[in-house]
Amino acid sequence: MTAMTVDTAAAPARLRRGLTVKGFFALAAMHLKLMRREPGAFVTILLPVVLLTIFGSIASAKTPQADLGGRSVLDVYVPTIAAMTPLMVACTVLPGAMASFRERNTLRRFQVSPVPPGGMLAALVSVLAAFAALSVVLIVLLGTLVFGAKLPPNLGAVISAFALGFVAVIAVGMVPAAVATTNTMANGIGIPFMILNFFFAGLYIPIAQMPHVMQTIGEYVPFGAVMDAWSGTGALWQHLAVLAGYTVLGGLASAKLFRWE
Amino acid sequence: MPVIEVTNLHKEYGRVTAVDDVSFSVEPGEIFGILGPNGAGKTTTVECISGLRAADGGSVRVLGLDPVADRDELHQTVGVQLQEAGLPDKLQVREVMRLFASFYRDPADIDVLLRRLGLAGKAQARYKKLSGGQKQRLAIALALVGNPRVVILDELTTGLDPHARRETWGLVEQVRDQGVTVLLVTHFMEEAERLCDRLALIDRGRVVAVDTPAGLAERTGGGQRMRFRPSAPVSDAELLALPEVETVTRHGAQIELAGTSQLVQAVTSLLARSQIIAEGLRVEQTSLDDAFVSLTSHMETAKEN
Repeated sequence: MTAMTVDTAAAPARLRRGLTVKGFFALAAMHLKLMRREPGAFVTILLPVVLLTIFGSIASAKTPQADLGGRSVLDVYVPTIAAMTPLMVACTVLPGAMASFRERNTLRRFQVSPVPPGGMLAALVSVLAAFAALSVVLIVLLGTLVFGAKLPPNLGAVISAFALGFVAVIAVGMVPAAVATTNTMANGIGIPFMILNFFFAGLYIPIAQMPHVMQTIGEYVPFGAVMDAWSGTGALWQHLAVLAGYTVLGGLASAKLFRWE
Repeated sequence: MPVIEVTNLHKEYGRVTAVDDVSFSVEPGEIFGILGPNGAGKTTTVECISGLRAADGGSVRVLGLDPVADRDELHQTVGVQLQEAGLPDKLQVREVMRLFASFYRDPADIDVLLRRLGLAGKAQARYKKLSGGQKQRLAIALALVGNPRVVILDELTTGLDPHARRETWGLVEQVRDQGVTVLLVTHFMEEAERLCDRLALIDRGRVVAVDTPAGLAERTGGGQRMRFRPSAPVSDAELLALPEVETVTRHGAQIELAGTSQLVQAVTSLLARSQIIAEGLRVEQTSLDDAFVSLTSHMETAKEN
């Protein structure tokens, strides 16, 4: 019945609800600017490039090894290093940014503007996704074209696993992003989850050299599953199902917990 | 048609009643104040009007819109300045203004607005580098950037020095002069007295009175208060014999009297008859301050009984 009471002189001909395209790009530009001004932000892109360059410069890293299933150390590390930026932005940058917005009441400022604060979150996730995608492509191109690592045969499966893997860790990162009121609190949840993913993505020990039990556990950790999809270990549907599971659980939990204040 | 209409607003947080029963309406083009002690329910009332909280009972209409159901449309035409709304430290003033301007159908000219708010020289400054007064003015600029028909200002001048406070008041009057309706939340009497066309006095989640500042002050009897040093002794009994005198308080050689609006005239003629001179005479009208204290403490005793 509200429409009946609208003063026709005041009401516009057409209601434009929420976020406009222009508003969205303005928000995305704001997030980019803030990231550019944050000294730590570019570490998320730079660190993997540096690591890959070190591995790529070691001659022995390019020789096939029996205990890595005939692959070279470089072959094994390209996907692992490519996983770093998606994990860092999802587990630390996203919750950290939301915590600092919440800490300063910035979210309330948006709540009284025509843009729903969800629009700001959407713009942030989009910028992070672009960041992650850019970094993954950069690492894979650098690894294969410059340092000569082998591309996996099933490219379609790998791309979908990486994409779904990113969505899964964003969904999990959204849980601390939903509630954290300080950066410390955000990192308290985000960093352990990131390290867990680093470990099972084979950053500290190659997956092929882990005990069998660890390898099995790794199949159920988001970026462990992505790595298996890359190397063609196990059934692809299982890995994608694991990632979809994290996405649904993280999404539900964060939607339930989300606080704008 | 009123610009803002609040009818029997009720809001609870768990078992705590923040707003019990608040009704008032704001007419186009006025500066309407919400005045009350801390914890009276002012901010909750304003949050319900701004669409930040859903009411538990009663109704709120702003320009005919429901602040919760029509919040996106509401925020196109209603500008809100919040008590605390920190912006990212590393954004520049102009960047913040551009960002928010991009959300509105009909944004104000950013440069004109920054100049009016005395922020033109700070356009390139990062938020972090602004002083408290500059941050406050930026918050007002953000409330105005969408060319609103109504602005809601919450504790506008809290934390400002007296000079900045006076400047900000001038600004609010300018905004009103351009035809914008202003809803102002405050706990400064001076601010309410200077700016508001009408006031709602809120205490313990209820509206105690709605009136002009002068009307509210008169409710306490419109009495007078005077202080002086008599040149010769004068007894309390003599003073209290006058029907105009209500209380006599002595501070050393000084006498303080409170009474009706005829107090000063009655006392000075009594003194003249006795050939006593009132040295250092000071006279005060009862102010909004007195009205505030008497109306809100009255509520308190009523509740306790």
